[in-house]
Amino acid sequence: MRGFLVRRLIQSLALLFIVLTITFFLLRLAPGDPMSRYDNPDFSPETVRGIRESLGLDKPLAEQYFRWIASFARGDFGVSLRYQRPVRDLLAEAIPNTLRLTVAALALHLVLGIFLGVLSAAQRHSPFDRVNTIAALFVYSIPSFWLALMLILVFSLKLGVLPSSHMQSLDTEGFSALALAIDRAKHLVLPAFVLGIASAASTARYMRGSMLDALREDYIRTARAKGLPESRVFLKHAFKNAALPVVTIVGLSLPFLFGGAVVVETIFSWPGMGRLAVDAIYARDYPTILAINFTVAAIVILGNLLTDVAYGLLDPRIAFAVGKKG
Amino acid sequence: MSANADERSIAAPPPGLWSQGWARFRRNRFGMAGALIVLALYLVAIVAPLLTPYDPIATGDVPRMRYVPPCREHPLGTDKFGRDVFARVVYGSRISLMIGFLAAAITVILGSLVGAAAGYLGGAADAILMRIVDALLSIPRLFLLLTCVALFSGSVWLIVILLGATGWMATARLVRAQVLSLRNLDYVKAAEALGAGGRGVIWRHLIPNTLSVIIVAATLRIGGIILAEASLGFLGLGVPPPAPSWGQMVFEGREALMSAWWLSTFPGIAIAVTVIGFNLLGDALRDAFDPRQIA
Repeated sequence: MRGFLVRRLIQSLALLFIVLTITFFLLRLAPGDPMSRYDNPDFSPETVRGIRESLGLDKPLAEQYFRWIASFARGDFGVSLRYQRPVRDLLAEAIPNTLRLTVAALALHLVLGIFLGVLSAAQRHSPFDRVNTIAALFVYSIPSFWLALMLILVFSLKLGVLPSSHMQSLDTEGFSALALAIDRAKHLVLPAFVLGIASAASTARYMRGSMLDALREDYIRTARAKGLPESRVFLKHAFKNAALPVVTIVGLSLPFLFGGAVVVETIFSWPGMGRLAVDAIYARDYPTILAINFTVAAIVILGNLLTDVAYGLLDPRIAFAVGKKG
Repeated sequence: MSANADERSIAAPPPGLWSQGWARFRRNRFGMAGALIVLALYLVAIVAPLLTPYDPIATGDVPRMRYVPPCREHPLGTDKFGRDVFARVVYGSRISLMIGFLAAAITVILGSLVGAAAGYLGGAADAILMRIVDALLSIPRLFLLLTCVALFSGSVWLIVILLGATGWMATARLVRAQVLSLRNLDYVKAAEALGAGGRGVIWRHLIPNTLSVIIVAATLRIGGIILAEASLGFLGLGVPPPAPSWGQMVFEGREALMSAWWLSTFPGIAIAVTVIGFNLLGDALRDAFDPRQIA
């Protein structure tokens, strides 16, 4: 098991390294001098030279590369061109908000996806199943920003029951802890729903297929032959085995969650990484853009590592084989 | 008599992969619906000028024509600049379909080459290529797109190339898996024994046989590409205005959501219908042509 862990860890670090390299060369490939924004009579030549030196742009390419990798390894992401603050601080503020959103969306995704998938498998080919399949395809195909706008139109503008932006109301003075929690929860509903529903649709479909495959196995036939009640066969035997591959689904859905967060955060003015990224794009704030790319990739790689480990622990076949190899 | 009938049935060529798959596909009603939708979309894109007399780009008579709700003259209403929404949606199909198709082509070509090379060469080349694929897959596609759009200023061709360049990874994996399973087959080994070089084997044997996988993958990717392009347009980073990009139209409608709901609704429906069509088609193609499901 330890050998497996170490190997995966090294792989993850290698992936991170490749991501860094790719982003570095992307930046260098871009037309235009990163210093061009200082091409301004307000800046004296000495100042420009000083900034150039501090950014390390006067050194040879290879040295720039290594200095860059080193600073990222230290956690020093540079200074935001737009906000004139260390990028690390900006990220520290934005990441928890995005995590709040993505975790809620992930929870919705898993609960709804697994539940509907299992139910569809149980009622195979029934009207419920058919409606579910069509609905899932529909949800999977509509653009998330459009869904968000339609939901805002209905629930916020027409019905006025759910807020359409930000993490909490502007005037929360004197709110009790409970009221604050409820207010925040209300603000979380629409964004988390929009973010998680598409993944829920595809997971439901996958879960259904996985359940149906599991139900075809021999051990199910044995369980039934033993006289076990169908519900027990279904839940205790088929479900446990069918749910296992879904663990990897969680890992695979992470990039989509973060990518989707960009649009969702922009629409709902949610102060997370996605919105930070978009603002940075508009402002051509390269240090922030690159730092966010790296951070998101790191989170995704970490997530994949964790799901691989979890899968290895949960699947007795792998745990046994790996355990034997030590 | 019966001997002749037997001879004939034995001598007749067995139904090939393609005709078998075709028959299966035709039986799938959802797939046929998807095919119809896609065909209809391309038709609409081609005959756009015949469907509407209005110009999608030219500013209309603004004071009189702005924000007109759906009516008989303007079935989907007009926007802030007095432009007919129906015309913009119809002409917008040209942009989405063209971008979708071209970007999918790039995705497929790039993905197939990388996947085939990785699968065939194996060893270190395979490992390196696949690590790069994994690394690229770790960055959410939208982030990659946004980063590149920020670095290189936008234009239609850039967007097509970027969409293609950010989506080839999944295809590469699929093709690699297929190549790995084909590589050990006898006829490939025979070709190698006869002296065919690596590139020859890839071109003449491996790629044609992975074609069905590639086509299915391409069709399923178009939906994602169209959604990605719409997202870019919605963020204002897509095809430059005044081109009628559906995503951008939804964005423009956002500011008047309460009063002019039709501005955001209809382009969104157009996107949804398009993506549903391609997804249905792709799913049905996969079910019909999946080599694993054909006994």
